[in-house]
Amino acid sequence: MAETNTQELTFTSSDGKNMKVPRDVAERSLLIKNMLEDLGEATEAIPIPNVTENVLTKVLEWCTHHRNDPPTTGDEDDSRRKTTDIEEWDQKFMQVDQEMLFEIILAANYLDIKPLLDIGCKTVANMIKGKSPEEIRKTFNIQNDFTPEEEDQIRRENEWAEE
Amino acid sequence: MPTTDDNFPSHDLPERRRSDEMGSGSQDPQTSFKSIFGGPSRTTEAKEAELNSHQHSSHGFGNVSNAPAKLANQNVAPFLAKHIPEHYAPLGPRSILPPELNNASSKYCYRHRPDLKCRRQADEPSMDLLQRELETLPQTDQQSISHVWSLFSAAPAKHRKLLLQGIMAQCCFPQLSYISATVRDLIRIDFLTALPPEIAFKILCYLDTTSLCKAAQVSRGWRALADDDVVWHRMCEQHIHRKCKKCGWGLPLLDRKRLHESKRAIELRATTWDMDRTETGTPPRELSTEPQEEPTSTGKRKYDASSELSIVKRHCSSLGDDSEKDEDFYKTRYRPWKEVYKDRFKVGTNWKYGRCSVKTFKGHTNGVMCLQFEDNILATGSYDTTIKIWDTDTGEELRTLRGHESGIRCLQFDDTKLISGSMDRTIKVWNWRTGECISTYTGHRGGVIGLHFDASILASGSVDKTVKIWNFEDKSTCLLRGHTDWVNAVRVDMQSRTVFSASDDCTVRLWDLDTKTCIRTFDGHVGQVQQVVPLPREFEFEDHDAECENDSLSTTSADTDPQSLQASMRLAPNATYSQSTVFGPGFENGRAAPPRYIVTSALDSTIRLWETTTGRCLRTFFGHLEGVWALGADTLRIVSGAEDRMIKVWDPRTGKCERTFTGHSGPVTCIGLGDSRFATGSEDCEVRMYSFQS
Repeated sequence: MAETNTQELTFTSSDGKNMKVPRDVAERSLLIKNMLEDLGEATEAIPIPNVTENVLTKVLEWCTHHRNDPPTTGDEDDSRRKTTDIEEWDQKFMQVDQEMLFEIILAANYLDIKPLLDIGCKTVANMIKGKSPEEIRKTFNIQNDFTPEEEDQIRRENEWAEE
Repeated sequence: MPTTDDNFPSHDLPERRRSDEMGSGSQDPQTSFKSIFGGPSRTTEAKEAELNSHQHSSHGFGNVSNAPAKLANQNVAPFLAKHIPEHYAPLGPRSILPPELNNASSKYCYRHRPDLKCRRQADEPSMDLLQRELETLPQTDQQSISHVWSLFSAAPAKHRKLLLQGIMAQCCFPQLSYISATVRDLIRIDFLTALPPEIAFKILCYLDTTSLCKAAQVSRGWRALADDDVVWHRMCEQHIHRKCKKCGWGLPLLDRKRLHESKRAIELRATTWDMDRTETGTPPRELSTEPQEEPTSTGKRKYDASSELSIVKRHCSSLGDDSEKDEDFYKTRYRPWKEVYKDRFKVGTNWKYGRCSVKTFKGHTNGVMCLQFEDNILATGSYDTTIKIWDTDTGEELRTLRGHESGIRCLQFDDTKLISGSMDRTIKVWNWRTGECISTYTGHRGGVIGLHFDASILASGSVDKTVKIWNFEDKSTCLLRGHTDWVNAVRVDMQSRTVFSASDDCTVRLWDLDTKTCIRTFDGHVGQVQQVVPLPREFEFEDHDAECENDSLSTTSADTDPQSLQASMRLAPNATYSQSTVFGPGFENGRAAPPRYIVTSALDSTIRLWETTTGRCLRTFFGHLEGVWALGADTLRIVSGAEDRMIKVWDPRTGKCERTFTGHSGPVTCIGLGDSRFATGSEDCEVRMYSFQS
């Protein structure tokens, strides 16, 4: 059952679908990786209770493409650089509707796949960048719940940043 | 074929749709319409069923339950009863899920938080539109359509999917095209308030200043997040040592200290953030998690005693009286980080656009040759043989220190003392608060034209071509010989126990205080070197600038700034090998390396940036028309003053001259640089202070 090289795991999505996943792909998720380290071997299907099949498929597509990436080095480097650059493949990967993007972010967070979470957050940040408040509201379908007076005051409070 | 409602085969649909008999109920279609579409979170909650396998005991279909009840006729009732048992079959069977599963999901899914209205709400107008559209149809059509809708409304996720599939299977291309065009627009999610706060903060931390301030204006929810200390603490942190081209930013020492101290508390805050708490009450600041840092007298003592503080103390304390200090301390500590950031941002843009106020200090009767300022105290030394102490706030001359017999060429002061060097070949130590001369040192055989002290070590440079080291602790002195002409400037670095010296022989030398030998000579200037200034150790010479420039863009385009690219390539190999060992065996046992970068100015009209590990000149700054006498530098900028009467501000990374100030009517001889102001002295007997504080 446990061949060392091409060991396959089975994930069960929240909607009850089973999927086969190569172990190195699965281990892009630190949650899974740590779990496997604790358990030793996983002979049974691993339930992923918070992720539906279509989202899990998408997440695993990312993990497969990035299966050979060097392990993440902690967030020190990230905190020093404030770039929202996303490499091309990931950019394409993130060209999904907001619902899927939302689910990917939640799944990456739950499964502890930091680079994927980073990309998801950067994608949302890029959707906010350079927009006026009204444009942001439009983008995310947000209701303006400020009174006109409040809105005016808050605009003045934030005027300093407009150079 | 059985046609029970919960087993609704798609191929049955055309028939059923055509049949007007479906939904033969007698209820008012408008009521049901309203009720079906009225609930803001209906759609999302229904989807939730997919995740929760029909378990809705916590919040159910609250909004849609009552009115459809009226609609419950023989066709619809069983369907509804089956799928919304809480309302239609209160005693019916319920699937039981382990409670932890529910809890687990509710932790990070907006669908499990009915209090967050994440969809539809802003779509009310389109609902009205739909309603009016419906009313144009014949009564029977209205009924049947509303029945289809109510069936869909009551259906759990799996069934809805099937319903949709059935509908879409019958669509022709124009209809499918309509769907695909409409759908993307319908899926719009308020990410920030729907995601867990820590992820929302993560997103916000990728934003630039302007976008963050726009985000704060979107809604109450966004404002609470985008204005939070978590975000702005991080913004401050990212800008401490580096300069963003856009905002030209730096943080004063006191804030840096506080920034460092509060890091952990801020991280904790990000993970335990609660919007309601933040909105209603006062935001809990680091105070709550750092009880030992409370602004009590004990807390303050701890602060004063801690390691880094010698610098802060020098800058901030004891120049005012104690109570005033406490107040400042308190103010700084509890200000929101956005406010701190805003102030620095304003200073940064003021620097960038050259917006400043200028104060002139008149009183010397001959050229001003040296100066230094800290807080509100400015000390100036002149060829008129006096030193003057000024209050920079009021512009008032506080006192004059008399005693030297010839022109003052150099000075430095701290809390307790002021040390001056003069063409009369002596060094004097003063109590600048009283004006009393405490002691006079002789030892140089020529005028003392440069001096610098750090802790108990004083270095002096002289017309006699030597550097003299005075150790105030063991009262020893020694001479560093090597320069072949006047030594104009010296800088002690106690961390590495080294001294830099700049000389009229056109070189800069680096001396090891342990061995009293010259360990590096910087050759390159073709004029007498007037000044040498080590850059703070945090200074980094890399391609960050280009990155900052991309701040407002949102694409993949990487660093293309040729200047910084070149710089980073040239420096790349050095970053890896140990900096200390290149200075010889004396630096092998963990001894700190000398500052890695220095800037120098010379009478060849240039300023140069050097790397001490290699001795290479990394950049030459051209722009002054005559000799550069005066130089100041920090991590953000270089400021220079020259014989040509101009003051120039430079970006050390790009080498660009950012601004030129004129105003002096004689050569500029000395410069003092702070984070929001600089002061210049001139042979025209005046001192000018340029303040970029808004």
